[in-house]
Amino acid sequence: MNRKIIVIVSLLLSGTLLFWLLPNDEKEIRKNLHQLAALCSSTEGEATITILNSVRKAAKLCRDPCAVKVESFDINGAFSHREFSNYLLMMKRTLPDTHFTFSDTQINFLQEDKAFITTTLSLRGKIKQQRFTDAYELDIIALKTEGKWIFSAFTVVEFMER
Amino acid sequence: MSPSNILQKFLFPSFTKRLLLRTSLLACATWFIFSFLLIPLRIEGYSMVPTYLDGSFALCWRLQYLFSPPKRGDVVTVRFAGKNVMLLKRIVGLAGDTVSFRNGQLYINKNPVAEPYVINNSKWQLAERIVKPGYVYVVGDNRDTPMQQHKFGQVNSKRIIGGVIP
Repeated sequence: MNRKIIVIVSLLLSGTLLFWLLPNDEKEIRKNLHQLAALCSSTEGEATITILNSVRKAAKLCRDPCAVKVESFDINGAFSHREFSNYLLMMKRTLPDTHFTFSDTQINFLQEDKAFITTTLSLRGKIKQQRFTDAYELDIIALKTEGKWIFSAFTVVEFMER
Repeated sequence: MSPSNILQKFLFPSFTKRLLLRTSLLACATWFIFSFLLIPLRIEGYSMVPTYLDGSFALCWRLQYLFSPPKRGDVVTVRFAGKNVMLLKRIVGLAGDTVSFRNGQLYINKNPVAEPYVINNSKWQLAERIVKPGYVYVVGDNRDTPMQQHKFGQVNSKRIIGGVIP
């Protein structure tokens, strides 16, 4: 009897572990978001070649072109990899010590190859030796192309109206 | 039982089923309370100085508005996509109110409002606007920064997660 219980419990635990560890679309999207945040982050004194590499890799996580909409900054358009990289490079130069994180991420699969993501982007960094923090709610569309998930549209949700 | 025995029993209890059950119940209750009812907050940023300082701690009481609506003057938490990152702001206007700033002075329904929690005032200028139904107008207490650098405005009441303690 004890042996039976042990076998059943072991099977259940193994099944749960397997299910938990197996890759799936949601995990891949979360991994890409985490990677995007890490690539957009910058540290002071970062080597130029590292910055260029990060910027290039970050752009590759997005579609070419990628739609970006930030109403408060009058940004609304589709950006090629090159334009995206240039803006990201400019941002890394302007904010040389900034950490990006995504939290409260919710992913809804609209279709097998299209996902709608709601997340909060937090920025923590320093400008002229003064610490700053900022946060934005983002709506992101991700598409599955050739077996890989890439981000195709970013929209900042302006929920606070002055 | 001597005091030293009692202390020993308290610090080094014997592992009985009862102790395990009590510890589990306590852990579950703690997790439930601090995840869903009383959310610990670590304040980051300066928008609510001097009421809440950067790096200080507070609690978000989620049941604050269970039986009554938010009032003017309440400090509330406003969610983004979830409740791990939230804005901490003070309600200055309710639905239907007109809100404006003239030389840093807040006006609600054309009447100047005393704000003892504001210590430094930049000369904010904001034309009168009406708070939409189902919305509240929130502003931070730190008016020392230029208006353009401050996140404030009307938000849907549904985004308010709860009140703030203390």
